[in-house]
Amino acid sequence: MTERPNRILVVDDEPDVQPLFSQRMRRDIRAGRLELLFAGNGVEALEVLNRDPDIDMVVTDINMPQMDGLTLLEHIPKIDSDIRAIIISAYGDMKNIRTAMNRGAFDFVTKPLDFDDLRVTIDRTLNHLKEWREALASRDKLVALQNELDIAHHMQQSILPTQFAKGNDWEIFASMEPARNVGGDFYDVVPLEDGHVGIAIADVSDKGVPSALFMMSTRTMLKGAAIGLLDPGDVLKEVNALLQEGNDTGMFVTVFYGVYNSNTGELTYANAGHNPPLIVRPDGSSVLLPMTGGIALGVIPEFDFSENTVKLEPGDTAFLYTDGVTEAARSDEDFFGLERLRDIFAETPPKSPKEANDVTFAAVHAFVGNLPQTDDITCLALTRSEKTP
Amino acid sequence: MPIESVREGGTLIAKAEARIDGANAKAFQDDLESVIEREDHAVILDLENLFYISSAGLRVILLTAKALQRQETEFAVCGLSDSVKEIFQISGFDKIIPMHPTVHDAKNAL
Repeated sequence: MTERPNRILVVDDEPDVQPLFSQRMRRDIRAGRLELLFAGNGVEALEVLNRDPDIDMVVTDINMPQMDGLTLLEHIPKIDSDIRAIIISAYGDMKNIRTAMNRGAFDFVTKPLDFDDLRVTIDRTLNHLKEWREALASRDKLVALQNELDIAHHMQQSILPTQFAKGNDWEIFASMEPARNVGGDFYDVVPLEDGHVGIAIADVSDKGVPSALFMMSTRTMLKGAAIGLLDPGDVLKEVNALLQEGNDTGMFVTVFYGVYNSNTGELTYANAGHNPPLIVRPDGSSVLLPMTGGIALGVIPEFDFSENTVKLEPGDTAFLYTDGVTEAARSDEDFFGLERLRDIFAETPPKSPKEANDVTFAAVHAFVGNLPQTDDITCLALTRSEKTP
Repeated sequence: MPIESVREGGTLIAKAEARIDGANAKAFQDDLESVIEREDHAVILDLENLFYISSAGLRVILLTAKALQRQETEFAVCGLSDSVKEIFQISGFDKIIPMHPTVHDAKNAL
């Protein structure tokens, strides 16, 4: 069976949107991967959605006559709860972005439109949708527990970026090895203005579908807050307040969030209860980033997160990890541990962020041997290159 | 296995053993809920014999702390090993749950 093209409805009242999208997406359209439909406002969009049951996703502007994008978002699930929506918002318009996320938008892009970013976002959304459908399709065939874990597993995988922003003298690499029974780790890289980039690593308590959902909302809120607010402490404070609303599940998430300023080499960070990252020097020696006295997000309603700033010298790597690394166990009481991690870097000083990831995964694998992996293992590294080109 | 607990006056002292992780967190939660009475003035969780707690375990402790707060029962933990104490400190749970070296200290602090 050949797959039908993914059908995307673009909703915008600007007349040049249709030719622009058709032109920029022409390769995908010609190759039969995408089909674009257009509507000029929310009312027209609903008419199209009602007529065409095969639409997979909607990309919508917010401000439009007759029915705006935020109102449209409320109506989409009534037609088909599987349709995923991406909104196009003004840069830094946190209020609307947050409203859209609360109304179930899957992701957002900002104006002026960067079509490369839009394509990556569309691909990720379609990928998520595919995995989601596969998980739903297999639901009936599996026992309830395994099924839940599979869905959670797919949800987790589909939100993680695999291509990373990079600059003249810095690069980032991150990866995750999921546990069989899904922990709830995630990472994110958020390009910001003026040579800044946000890096985040997080670990949601517990596992299964509820924690996967918690992870999804944390990730979207974090991304939204990161774009709207520059200070890491403010970002975490905002996400904490949002997560707190209606959270009586006791679920929480530890998050390390830092903003790297490539103009100065400075990393400013705040830490919501996450394992303190390492700064690894070119000679392999390492220091722990000082704790900033935070608390995991979702635990208490109001909290002010302190920040700290460190400078990455050329050749330094900031190494973020989850407890899946340090708590990888080969027996009930024998953990991989932070010291072993630091020893690994001392033996093999990483020259790139990918190398830092690779040596860590290799060492953890060697340590636990064939024992089943009980928690997600996640690393994110940012390296400031030794020489500027 | 139900958790070991004693009641001294209005204070319930419950012991957590070995490890609390994703595999037994639910059972631990059920056990803890079953021993806590509405009439308890205070609950002390003795972690002396606990050598590992995962985030799933911390979640049960958070739920317990919140439930006890609602019924206005005091709550504290004690006897934390260095590694368990570190987990409480990194996650910031030490900011919302009083920690004491021993059951005796915890009782005195109530």
